[in-house]
Amino acid sequence: MLTAFQNLFAPPRHMILLVVAAWLGLTLAEKRTEQHGITKDDLNNLVFFALLAFIIGGRISYVLQNLAAFTKGPLGIISANPDLFDPTGAVAAGAIAALIYGQRKKLNFWNTLDALTPFLAVLVIGSGLSHLASGTFFGLPTDIPWGIQLWNAQRHPTQIYETLASLLTFGLLWLSKPNPRPGVFFLYFAALTSLSQLIIQAFRADGATLSNGYHQGQIIAWVTLAVCFILLETRLSNKRVMKVTE
Amino acid sequence: MDRFQRITFYILILIAGAAWIILSANTVSQADSIQAPQTGFLAPDFTLKTATGETYTLSGLKGQAVLVNLWATWCPPCRAEMPAIEKMYQEYKSQGFVVLSVNSTVQDNPLDIAPFIEEYGLTFPILLDETGDVTRAYQIRSLPSSYFIDRRGIISEVVIGGPMSEALLRTRIEEALK
Repeated sequence: MLTAFQNLFAPPRHMILLVVAAWLGLTLAEKRTEQHGITKDDLNNLVFFALLAFIIGGRISYVLQNLAAFTKGPLGIISANPDLFDPTGAVAAGAIAALIYGQRKKLNFWNTLDALTPFLAVLVIGSGLSHLASGTFFGLPTDIPWGIQLWNAQRHPTQIYETLASLLTFGLLWLSKPNPRPGVFFLYFAALTSLSQLIIQAFRADGATLSNGYHQGQIIAWVTLAVCFILLETRLSNKRVMKVTE
Repeated sequence: MDRFQRITFYILILIAGAAWIILSANTVSQADSIQAPQTGFLAPDFTLKTATGETYTLSGLKGQAVLVNLWATWCPPCRAEMPAIEKMYQEYKSQGFVVLSVNSTVQDNPLDIAPFIEEYGLTFPILLDETGDVTRAYQIRSLPSSYFIDRRGIISEVVIGGPMSEALLRTRIEEALK
């Protein structure tokens, strides 16, 4: 079954999983966006501009980092190669575009994040499935019975751990009672995702490690988790931050 | 939960997380020992012949940056990227860049290969994978598939699908040459 899935969504078709996840996530987010005081139109426009900036920003960032290669052939800037892409620059550009749109439309920052949470949660599930299809984010060699055969070794199925953890996170959030304090819904999602990454990154074989062997991804997840806890406590202990629509 | 209980809970989680980071620290690098067609692994070794009988072994090219490009004559993106590969080969070969262009002969018509080479004026070696061993070793699911291999024999980048543009080839070759 795993082989059939990997054959069906072998790169570059694994991107389909991300596109489907984005569509499904947005559809689910639309259903509850009014609860957070954000209209469907604003949510759709915000995601549209953020995705547009994500795609263009990812390419621009890549070009700027490899300027010499593009000065010899400037037409490469508009090449259809999806590999000419910098994910970090793309995320930064998408976030900036969303912030600008939110500012111009005077959307409440925390309410907007809450409205976006189902979209982001489903996107993380799609990301896990996409990693499984492409064989990236693979695990350390192991002899555990549930190990999968990948890259010529029996390995921890880190992509399956990632997918299950994000499914669990989505399920918990979707079924939870709405919290009256803006931002708490999003911060629960961010904290649960960071916690699962903190655990799962330990089993990854292709993650960056520091010279002393610590997994960089785990350290980033730990810091993110700490920030989420601080923000959560700030939101939960502030009695005045009630939802605009309540 | 009151505020005190929440903060205690956060601190306990963070302490447990820090302990997990320390316990799971891992200094083992597996790239040096396992051959697999994925970034960070040793490139699967192979020995193949050209149509004119010259033999090439991938492991014999250590010390040079290598592009292993798997293709077939019937595949439009494979055809489309050949001029760019040839151009980059001419531009970088003096810096130690080698192209091993592997025709997946097991899924191609051998009679089409020579006219193809002539049509595109290809000067790098065109190897014939007549048994399909290399196609299987590189777990090919899409054509073209390209593997950029650094001077240590480790895959620095994989590009599945195409056609690759000159800019993409340049950035990947320069990375492999480092």
